[in-house]
Amino acid sequence: MTITRREFIAGVGSITLLASPVFNVRAAGLQKRNLVIIMLRGGMDGLTAVPPRDKRLNSARPDILVKKTQKLTSDFDLHPSLETFHELWKAGQAGVVHATNIPYTKRSHFEGQNLMESGGHVPYGESTGWLGRGLEAAELGGLAISLPMPLLLRGKVVQDNFYPTHMSMPHKPELMTIAGSYPEGSALRKAMEKVISRPKSMMQQSNSNDAADLADTAATELARADGPRVAVFDLDGFDTHAAQGGDDGAHGEKLSDYDEIINRLRDGLGDAFDNTLILTLTEFGRKLDQNGGYGTEHGYGTAIMMAGGLVKQTIHADWPGLKSKELFEGQDLNATIDARAVYCSAMAACFDVDFAYMRKHTFWDEPLPDLTDALFKV
Amino acid sequence: MKRDFFRKVGFGIAPGESVPTDPLAWAQAQMDAVPDLSWKGDIPTGEALMDHYAHWVYTDRKVLRKKHKKDRKAYKAAKEQLRYETGERFFENLELAIRHDAALNSGAPVFERLWFFWANHFAITDKDFMPEFTTGAYHRDVLRQHMTGSFVDLTKAATTSWAMIHNLDNSESIGPNSENGRRRRERGKVATVNENHARELMELHTVSPAAGYTQDDVIALSYVMAGWEHKHTKKRQECNPVHFNQRNHQPGTHTVLGKQYKQRGLNSSNKLLDAIEDLCAHPDCRRFIALKLCRHFICDQPTDAMMQPIILAWEDSDGDLPTVHKALLQVAWDYTGIEQKFQNPEVWFLQMVNMAGMAWPPSPKTMTYTFKNKPRRDQRKPESMLRELGLLPYRPPQPNGFSDMSSDWLSPELLIRRLAFSSESGTRISANLDFDALIDSNFDNADEIKAYLSPFTTRFGRAETLFPSYWMLMA
Repeated sequence: MTITRREFIAGVGSITLLASPVFNVRAAGLQKRNLVIIMLRGGMDGLTAVPPRDKRLNSARPDILVKKTQKLTSDFDLHPSLETFHELWKAGQAGVVHATNIPYTKRSHFEGQNLMESGGHVPYGESTGWLGRGLEAAELGGLAISLPMPLLLRGKVVQDNFYPTHMSMPHKPELMTIAGSYPEGSALRKAMEKVISRPKSMMQQSNSNDAADLADTAATELARADGPRVAVFDLDGFDTHAAQGGDDGAHGEKLSDYDEIINRLRDGLGDAFDNTLILTLTEFGRKLDQNGGYGTEHGYGTAIMMAGGLVKQTIHADWPGLKSKELFEGQDLNATIDARAVYCSAMAACFDVDFAYMRKHTFWDEPLPDLTDALFKV
Repeated sequence: MKRDFFRKVGFGIAPGESVPTDPLAWAQAQMDAVPDLSWKGDIPTGEALMDHYAHWVYTDRKVLRKKHKKDRKAYKAAKEQLRYETGERFFENLELAIRHDAALNSGAPVFERLWFFWANHFAITDKDFMPEFTTGAYHRDVLRQHMTGSFVDLTKAATTSWAMIHNLDNSESIGPNSENGRRRRERGKVATVNENHARELMELHTVSPAAGYTQDDVIALSYVMAGWEHKHTKKRQECNPVHFNQRNHQPGTHTVLGKQYKQRGLNSSNKLLDAIEDLCAHPDCRRFIALKLCRHFICDQPTDAMMQPIILAWEDSDGDLPTVHKALLQVAWDYTGIEQKFQNPEVWFLQMVNMAGMAWPPSPKTMTYTFKNKPRRDQRKPESMLRELGLLPYRPPQPNGFSDMSSDWLSPELLIRRLAFSSESGTRISANLDFDALIDSNFDNADEIKAYLSPFTTRFGRAETLFPSYWMLMA
């Protein structure tokens, strides 16, 4: 049998779908809750996405001020590009954790992204990601939709991934022969075993190369009762050193890409959206002051945007303030909440495991507070 | 004889090619001169491509958007036509053809592998229209031409190139106390440096975070660099050559990693060049480059024993690249058969093409473009193929370039691409291809591989099992 699959290419990023119950036993007994992670690479600016009502922003960012904001609370507004997010907020299905970041302060994208995915403290010190470890701890297997396997999802177990192509593969006997050339137990052999054991349902087709359509596909898969439980999107382009803009501009456009993904997920998931949690990750925020090129430099504290039926309508923050003495190193919004507490709480909520158990298996039992009740409806 | 070496540092041995009797000497001899590009078709100059880029951005932004302000459909149609006129859909394919032709036909495949390496080290990300008009020419004109000089000269050339200055926003940098900075502030406008380029110059291009630089060092180096920019003009937009603009430069002496940089001569342009000298002479720089070279060619986690000869060669020669490259090749030779590296998709593809003698890249005749219509499917093949494989060399998503770690290239889907390309290769190889000769020239375990292939008698079956086999993926 020659397996033919049609072309399916992501324009903006890639998605990863995980934890298909096809592969595991434990998931069969669980209520199906979906966890979607959207990685915003380059440093998403929490002060642009969810600006606080503080006049200091006006003087710090005269040329890139967000003006046509949408109201969230008496203290915080929302960027005009985040239309879907605002609708969800009004429906009680969106929330924000603000002034948060991973415990990393050195402003390098690559170290920061590595830590945002690994959850550790030493850049490049871990070969697994916190979601990969969390899935293992929850005894859930995995399936990814993206060409490479993001660090976030790597664990001791090799996760599967999926990214359609129109090309043909060798027949099964040839695949068995090829697998035989790979050393027993090697990562190559494990990857090949995933390929060989693929169910027909993974030979899904799409002729679209539009990133938003990729979100539709992810939603369809997540909505299936026996479909995957976790999806990961990867969006880059948030590193707006120049032409960041306020209402319009590069940062707003990227936020709009994010908003379109949650829009498509909401529509595609239907009722399953009620049992879904969509979380953003980024490596750091951006400096309070704009630079001379209408952009901003690498900063520290930022916001996590959360959407979906499992999210409580809240802005969860221990707000540090924007006075110069309140800023981190005199230049950035400080981070007062360890973002990993949010990640760990989200996994505990979605994978139906105890927070302390999850913390032990994914974050080395570091003293992260349990935010499950504060943030999620589970 | 360690035949893996021909793939470890090259693209394998082609049908009919004689196997070098002294592989290490063969490889090292390729380091002393920049080989001519073998592409027999048109090779546009960087300047000509910049003219196309300027025409494209100016006409789109300043003409078409205004002319068709009220008619979105007409704007879209006119813009599509402009794409063809400027080659916006074509040049990336041509550059890939030039790159792959060099890999297969320049006569110095080991040099070409190192060219690929440096192009990825001084990476230009997928930004604006750089993959379409800039990055290929920057690899050819800026990086390739400096590969037989010193690392410091290569770094100076890359750092002050239009490609890098634009890619990392240095034209947006204004020293707060510069002439323009003070004027802007008097008018109530913001004037600050852009830290992007300075940070990556240290983190990615030279000393790496191991040097322990601080945020103050990053800002100081941004001051040093402020003023290195391209002009923005109405007719050419950002497409103007890089120059040093004293009026945007932060005056005074700046301290980076404990060293002071001050003006010598009539302007301050020397400060950056002085800083690059010191960064390149820093012990963490040679260590970082040695690590990256070993990681690319030898194994994921290089040992001190692998890096040390390269570091010593660097110290003895002040970072003379041919000397450094030869030291690397010696180490690669020593570790051939001991350490194996999972080959990235592009290198693996070129090895398959070369060893099987497939027709690749498209011919100069195929790649002759009229600038009137959409490039044909066969003219767009290089780009579509590499996209499918998962590595478009002119489109790294981030300035750290493509990864050299196996784990970043190893997923079931990426493996499926290798399987699919191998499967399709059967239709593209000659019916007369002598598989036994291919195996004899390229592998030391020829008997094992021949036994493995023995159940398959057609070229289709042999191609699709040989090329994704362990021995072919690793070198």
